[in-house]
Amino acid sequence: MAQGRVHLKGIYKRFGNFIALKHIDLDIQPVEFFALLGPSGSGKTTTLRMIAGLDTPDEGVIEVDGEDVTFAPPADRDIAMVFQNYALYPHMTVRDNIAFPLKMDKMPKAEIEPAVVRAAERVDIAHLLHRRPGQLSGGQQQRCALARAIVRQPKLFLLDEPLSNLDAQLRLQTRVELKKLQRALNVTAIYVTHDQEEAMTLADRMAVFLEGDILQVGTPDEVFNRPASIAVAAFIGSPPMNLLPATLDGDRLTVSGHSMTLPRAPQHPGGEVTMGVRPSHVRIDPQGLPTRLYLSENLGESALLNLYLGDELVKMRVASFNAGAEGETVPIAFDIDTIHLFESGSGRRIPLAGE
Amino acid sequence: MSSYRRAATRRNIVLMIVASTLLLIWVFPLLWAVIVSLKSESEVLAYPPSVFFEPTGKNYADALFGDFSILSSLWTSTIVATATTVLTIVLAVPAAYAFARLRLPAKKTMGFYTLATQMVPPVGLVIPYFLILNKVGMLDSYEGMIIVYLTFSLPFAIWLMVSYMEDIPFEMEEAAFLDKASRLQTLWHIIIPQVRGGIAVTVIFVFLNAWNEFLFAVQLGGNNVRPVTVAMYNFVSVEQTLWAKLSAAALIAMLPVVVIGIIAQKQIVKGLTVGAVKGGGRR
Repeated sequence: MAQGRVHLKGIYKRFGNFIALKHIDLDIQPVEFFALLGPSGSGKTTTLRMIAGLDTPDEGVIEVDGEDVTFAPPADRDIAMVFQNYALYPHMTVRDNIAFPLKMDKMPKAEIEPAVVRAAERVDIAHLLHRRPGQLSGGQQQRCALARAIVRQPKLFLLDEPLSNLDAQLRLQTRVELKKLQRALNVTAIYVTHDQEEAMTLADRMAVFLEGDILQVGTPDEVFNRPASIAVAAFIGSPPMNLLPATLDGDRLTVSGHSMTLPRAPQHPGGEVTMGVRPSHVRIDPQGLPTRLYLSENLGESALLNLYLGDELVKMRVASFNAGAEGETVPIAFDIDTIHLFESGSGRRIPLAGE
Repeated sequence: MSSYRRAATRRNIVLMIVASTLLLIWVFPLLWAVIVSLKSESEVLAYPPSVFFEPTGKNYADALFGDFSILSSLWTSTIVATATTVLTIVLAVPAAYAFARLRLPAKKTMGFYTLATQMVPPVGLVIPYFLILNKVGMLDSYEGMIIVYLTFSLPFAIWLMVSYMEDIPFEMEEAAFLDKASRLQTLWHIIIPQVRGGIAVTVIFVFLNAWNEFLFAVQLGGNNVRPVTVAMYNFVSVEQTLWAKLSAAALIAMLPVVVIGIIAQKQIVKGLTVGAVKGGGRR
């Protein structure tokens, strides 16, 4: 049975003057659901296209199950891909769309039909086989693209922002089904997205891309709770964590003239650092730092307060939306054991004792 | 009736009058030819033209089966036009695909060169083509005539088809490649079915151009290869012009053109606008 281990070594790619990928390394394990997360233009789609064989790197090696496929054509890689715009063949029925990879793979005619029906049933479109893509809703088209991808039982399952063209509700529903499907198929899935929530919920592990670099590789938990750098911290979380200048002296951290003792000693000589704290880890404390309420945003289940601590904007999540008038003074404190520290210059995470 | 409605009705009436007038100007020569073709030769020359006359089918019979029968010429035209069309499509579809998709060096230059051949006035090429065909012994031959027609129809067809092919998203092909289709299989299964409309339009234009062509046919053809456009001139001689038979022959020669036009009307309009409106789609 297919394994599906993908190993990228020192992949470098430029398009004209634009450096798309700066020597990235990545090791994706068999049967893993792996997300490539990053803003647009960060190189995640380019990486996926190289794994698919639709682009070739200028430098570096791509291995699938130990075999060098860097310059192998897509057809030789045993890969299925779901495109962002689905790329269904508009002149074929759903049945013919799903059957196409099998036909090209020279599967005997008698075996094609049952395989097509099985794939269609898996994604709940067996009743739509006679339709053409133009006669399907967005969600049905997406399922058709999925069926075409899974019908062949490929070694790798690549997904390029497959949910981004669906409306919000359908996206949530399909997200769950996608995960179930991947588990059931027992196949390596590589998933490109700019939506961190998707990456967090779907992925076993993820790589965070920015400007052609991989900033961090890890489980969603690791990336969320131990961001490797300021850049990751500033990207992950909705809204991302607050980053404030601070001074470190041993285990004493001073922010805006307010000192606190860290429960876990940072492994750092001290000096100017950047402190990170998530909006949900800021609380109102009468003895805390005085801030000025600039704007409160009602999010329904919670509210988000935009506060000014001196010149620094601090976002704070509160349970209920009853937070006073704009311009009012709000004293805040940080949950001391959830604080992240980063080197100010390099932006690297400062490990705390026990990490 | 509201005043808005009255204004709309009035506008429609004016539009109808303008449209009918223009149409009449357009159709008049055709109408005249039909009338002339139904008269006898002597009646044609009567002045003032007779309005009431006894219609006769004799001119059609003469044009088809008389001394200067155009039947064999119709067949010649059919062979030349059909062969030109088939060869054009067979060569232009893959060529257009290459222009639309492959990263060829000097693609732009080649594209411009292809189009530039369309800008040369054809009459300037008659003599060179005559000399070339004479040199290689292809004057008055089907091969020669078809090759010469291909030099005009191919650039035109390629240029027309490229715009259709460029409208197909890249992802569609990439999906096909991942589905283990080869380049040619992709062209056959994915691209061609989606540009059927464009191919239909190209077929029609190329066929009509080849069918209607006169200038090269009269110079490069002869007794062996004499398309109907040339053969009709048998009715024009130094002593006299047989207007009625000429009209009948012209109308017969026009028939395939009209039939194709009517059949393909919808395709042509659709095909010409699709390429223009959809546009974009390129990365």
